[in-house]
Amino acid sequence: MGDGLLVLKIFLVVAAIAIAAMLFVALYGAKKPLPQSVVNDAGYRIRKLWLGLVLVVAAIAFALTVPFFPYPWARASVGARHVRVTAAQYAFVMPSVLPVDVPLVFDVTSQDVNHGFGIYAPDGTLFAQVQAMPDYINHLPIEFHVKGHYVVRCLEFCGIGHAYMHGGFDVR
Amino acid sequence: MKIMWTYIVAGLTIFGLMLLVGIGLRASQAGWIPIDTGTFYSLLSLHGVGMITAMAIAGLGLLWYLVDREIHLDERVAMLAFAFFAIGVVVVIVSVVFGHYGALWTMLYPLPFVGTTWPSWATGAWLLGVAAVMLGFMLICAQILGAILRSSGGLGSALGLDYVFGRKAFEAAGKHPPSPQMLAATVVSIDGLIGGASGLLVGIAMIAHWLDPHVVIDPLWAKNLTYQFGHTFANLTMYMAVAGIYVALPICTKRAYHSSIPLVVAWWGTLVFVIIAYFHHLYMDFVQWPAVQYIGEISSYLAAVPVVVVTVFGGLMLIHRSGMKWTLGSMFFFAGMVGWIVGGSAAILDATIPFNVDLHNTLWVPAHFHTYLLEGVFLFILGWVFVSLEQRAEAASNALVRWIVGLGIFGGGALFLISFYVAGAAGVPRRYAVEPAPGPFWAGIATVGTLLILVGVLAALVEGIRLARMRAVGAAV
Repeated sequence: MGDGLLVLKIFLVVAAIAIAAMLFVALYGAKKPLPQSVVNDAGYRIRKLWLGLVLVVAAIAFALTVPFFPYPWARASVGARHVRVTAAQYAFVMPSVLPVDVPLVFDVTSQDVNHGFGIYAPDGTLFAQVQAMPDYINHLPIEFHVKGHYVVRCLEFCGIGHAYMHGGFDVR
Repeated sequence: MKIMWTYIVAGLTIFGLMLLVGIGLRASQAGWIPIDTGTFYSLLSLHGVGMITAMAIAGLGLLWYLVDREIHLDERVAMLAFAFFAIGVVVVIVSVVFGHYGALWTMLYPLPFVGTTWPSWATGAWLLGVAAVMLGFMLICAQILGAILRSSGGLGSALGLDYVFGRKAFEAAGKHPPSPQMLAATVVSIDGLIGGASGLLVGIAMIAHWLDPHVVIDPLWAKNLTYQFGHTFANLTMYMAVAGIYVALPICTKRAYHSSIPLVVAWWGTLVFVIIAYFHHLYMDFVQWPAVQYIGEISSYLAAVPVVVVTVFGGLMLIHRSGMKWTLGSMFFFAGMVGWIVGGSAAILDATIPFNVDLHNTLWVPAHFHTYLLEGVFLFILGWVFVSLEQRAEAASNALVRWIVGLGIFGGGALFLISFYVAGAAGVPRRYAVEPAPGPFWAGIATVGTLLILVGVLAALVEGIRLARMRAVGAAV
């Protein structure tokens, strides 16, 4: 949570490596052509290793991320205090003050269309989010450790007032 | 050939018009031009559905031609499908221009019916217009799949099952596996029919609700179908265009791209993962059945394997030390593969659930799909067009033209896209007519990037016309 800039850094590194590698393969020895059979022999050997590497990285990435899934069954504390949030075009109805260092579960729903319940921390980073849906209640477990004012923005297109649908609460 | 050019020219024309709309939208978000909120969302609706339809029409033209080269296809069916596309596009434009519809193209029920500022007929027209586009798409898919099944003798042969599970006997019988482009066509047409069916199903439900508001729809059911359709349709535009790699890159490199067991198996993976990866659009719907959240992340990761291990890897093997000349056509294909990988990397990060919390419905989402549509699908289409024109004219563009086009489309594209990524990483929400900081600053940078893209596209257009007018002396691809 609040890791957007970390993701950006990972992306930029991955993209730079990918672009550099592809340019290298395309340009290296470009003026000294080789028969396709020679390139294929080496290429197919590398591809087996590459396939193994890609699958191992994917498996490790999945295993590493599962413990950080945000879902209630993964993160909700027993006895957490429940906070009701109701979204409607174009406002959120919810308490204006919430306690610090107390396990909470936001029970989020909507009175009309789909909305997104996005919580921005006092430093402006996107801290947590869940969809607000009509006919359903999404449970979002959170514990705030930083006091201050948190802004709530709608993160699902909900109509002409979507960009103006925001609210907030203080954590004390 | 007539069908291919009709589709590609129509697709690229819509692309050009939607590019202008997109420039206006980013300039408005930057605060440089005034667009009121209602008009902004009408234009955003048009831009979204217009761009994806443009890429689909152009990609289908390419795919139809490649299949028709191996199996005769009836042109009348393609023209009937084109009529559906044309009707759909006109009706959608009427809905937006005269009805001011503004609930976007992947609207989530009950949105188009609640809190609207436009007349009811505009909602109905939009739904019917998109349905017409979908019918055209499914008609082409059905025609291609039917022809492939008839010629290959069944689905198993079309997908190369007999080749993979009995290669020695298969080859001893003198048989050949399906060509790479035919595998692409089979997978696109099957997944296209599945995605189209999802879209039609939820579309019909919404049209029923439009006609009789007593008809109610489950919002989660509608959301699943909407994204199954939307994700599949958008994703398949890439795989339509990718078929061009298998035919055009061998021409550019003077090498051969043959089917192999890894290639066939890779397309089986694509067949499955394209239609189930959509679950990543519902990560923030915690009421979803838990298992599909895991499936969403796994299938999103695995969908990348055929791309990075087979198609792009194979494309790079073709280029490596082949002595390929860097014409506009070959340049577009290479750059398209780069864009596909870069956009795919961003998509995988977004499909990683703990990161999705930070990125879901921020500008990161349009960042990644603009990367693979603008710097992937669009470039593959342009690549196909220019390889065709270069072949026919037996000529290529000079270095100055290549630099102008490259700096515009790739340089401007990089500026445009990085603005999306940085703002998305900072948590700026997508689909905001008026963005919170730092959105407007990055929208300004993006607008400069889009203007450079426009320069590159116009230069490519002029160069394309120049090549097309040169006397045809050789065979087209």
